[in-house]
Amino acid sequence: MKRILSILLVSLLIIGGLVGCSNNKAQSDTGKRIILATTTSTRDSGLLDYILPNFEEETGIKVDVIAVGTGKALEMGRKGEADALLVHAKPSEEEFVKEGHGLYRKDVMYNDFVLVGPKEDKGNLKEKSPRDIVKGLRLIAEGNYKFVSRGDDSGTHKKEKALWEEAKVKPEGEWYLSSGSGMAQTLKIASEKQAYTITDRATYLNLKDKLDLEIIIEKDDRLFNQYGVIPVNPDKNENINNKGAEKFIEWLLSEETQKQIGEYGKDKFGMPLFVPNAK
Amino acid sequence: MDYIINGIIEALKLLVSFNRELYEIIFLSVFVSSTATLISSIIFIPLGLYLGIKNFKGKKLFSRLLYTLMSIPSVVVGLLVAILLSRRGPLGFLELLYTPTAMIIAQSLLVTPLSLGLSYNLSKNRGKKIERVGITLGARGVKIIFLLIRELKIDLFINLVTVFSRAISEVGAVMIVGGNIKNRTRVITTSIAMFNSMGNYSTAIALGLVLLAISFIINSLIYSYHQEDY
Amino acid sequence: MEIKIKNLKKYYNDKLVLKIEELHIEKRKITGIIGPNGAGKTTLLRIISGLDEDFSGRITYDNSTLNNNIYDNMTLVFQKPYLFRRSVYDNIAYPLKIRKKNKAEIDKRVSEMLNRLQIYNLKNEKAHLLSGGESQKVALARALIFKPKLVMLDEPTSNIDPESIKTIEKEIKNYNSNEKATIIIITHNLEQAKRLCDNTIYLENGRVNRINGFL
Repeated sequence: MKRILSILLVSLLIIGGLVGCSNNKAQSDTGKRIILATTTSTRDSGLLDYILPNFEEETGIKVDVIAVGTGKALEMGRKGEADALLVHAKPSEEEFVKEGHGLYRKDVMYNDFVLVGPKEDKGNLKEKSPRDIVKGLRLIAEGNYKFVSRGDDSGTHKKEKALWEEAKVKPEGEWYLSSGSGMAQTLKIASEKQAYTITDRATYLNLKDKLDLEIIIEKDDRLFNQYGVIPVNPDKNENINNKGAEKFIEWLLSEETQKQIGEYGKDKFGMPLFVPNAK
Repeated sequence: MDYIINGIIEALKLLVSFNRELYEIIFLSVFVSSTATLISSIIFIPLGLYLGIKNFKGKKLFSRLLYTLMSIPSVVVGLLVAILLSRRGPLGFLELLYTPTAMIIAQSLLVTPLSLGLSYNLSKNRGKKIERVGITLGARGVKIIFLLIRELKIDLFINLVTVFSRAISEVGAVMIVGGNIKNRTRVITTSIAMFNSMGNYSTAIALGLVLLAISFIINSLIYSYHQEDY
Repeated sequence: MEIKIKNLKKYYNDKLVLKIEELHIEKRKITGIIGPNGAGKTTLLRIISGLDEDFSGRITYDNSTLNNNIYDNMTLVFQKPYLFRRSVYDNIAYPLKIRKKNKAEIDKRVSEMLNRLQIYNLKNEKAHLLSGGESQKVALARALIFKPKLVMLDEPTSNIDPESIKTIEKEIKNYNSNEKATIIIITHNLEQAKRLCDNTIYLENGRVNRINGFL
């Protein structure tokens, strides 16, 4: 019994020591850390893992990435829980800045959405409408082919809803599945259910090997996906690290980083996943 | 702070207005978890009772293993079931991933060690005495198990409820194998996680309240059952 | 039922607690086992009743070894009997129920038994809430209801009131003569042994010290 007690005591001391140390570290590092709220697509595509280490090395500022839907990312900005946002729903972003939650908004890069579906392409969309997403969606609805929606209020979800609206279809019924999840999970569900879904090309290409899905509709102008970066208004609360955020944005839009973004994925997929377009 | 108060008010409104989506989620939660509880209990309560009174080699090691498995993380079980059921997995031909059936399978597996462990422990502590009386009165084999179930029914009921609580409150396994698909595999816990990530706090709070209410009802049940008969 | 024990040895954590070279328990008789605490009396009963199988030696019941038929025809009432968490009626009916007797017969036999032990008024009480004397009577009733040919009783009357002792002793006597059953009874009370027993075995330190002769 004595021995057990002493072991317990020692381990408590060790844990206590560790916690103490990490606390100290966190305190001295407050100025050297920013919280970036972004979409699941930037994380799931692997882009951030590719470029962020350079930033951290150059500036010594650590970036804590919170990957959520665009809706939640904007919400986090509104509450001052993030220092910078990297999202893709231009109208919502502009509104966000106009309401004073963000200082400004700048274009960073774009990628495009594609409609992916099972290899057998039950609706034969590939032949009927390889370049027209709106017609494609109409065909899916008419044929009651399974379609998985993000359903999480993310940028991709907003895009999808806008497209359904354009197609004048109210997506409802047995065939329409709403996953309420991130892009990777939604693609996995679509693959398991052999359903169609709309995804950003980057995430799809990154996960392609693990999915039984292929691109059905692409290169429609309406599938264009612009990413923007916003520094959160530091007036919200004193914890917001505006300096770090500005430094991050400056770096993100710099020529060198933009070049890197344009290179990401080239070796693996034969084409870049994101096209940089900072002005 | 406002959004918290608003969230709670909105949540109560959703609850009293019998919001259909909300109640479908609640119903599915209860259905999946109680089915899983029943499936694991029907097999593993009697087995646990039997093993508890039986002397066998390695019983100590068995107890330790069982107690370890009782606290198995739900995501591990979810992962295991997802790997088995995915289209590329060995049971992929069943096309069960992302269905309520998959959720029931995962939760049944998850709570099985608990079901087995609780009844095993109960019978290890209190079963011998009952078994001995049964034997002296001419009971054997299955009759002993039935006798144990009847004699320990209050404790077994409490165990059953404990198992159900574990099932209905876990999020890892159902999230992985259910996929949180609207109107199909969305349960209370996965919805709370999702509505939170969407910033929709009122629905998340409403469901949180329901989960709390379910725990409360369950605990009151246990308590009143415990009082009776003692 | 006649019981013969040969070369019985029982160890408990490497300690020899019972060593009986030869012992006969006569059929249709009431045999008392007496002796100080820790002499191995209860252990002996548990071995004879088949509850404890961890021993060496040979025990025969009417010249055959323990089998299901014998199990079905013997019983042991513990010193502190465990009663089921059900009514007194259900407790006593249990051995008949598992022997698939019909409802009418069970009713009749249980009622008779309740009357004989003067506990008919307790019929619908919850058994696990009864007093010591009442519990002993219910346990005895439950053991005798299926008419076993070998009945083992471990101090059936310790710590209970004189009235109950009288009833229980009377029932033991009656059962012995009516059912022609063999009865083994552990008791601390020499007077009781004199009143009830045809034979007595005196156990000390796990060994048979004397048979009869000292009463």
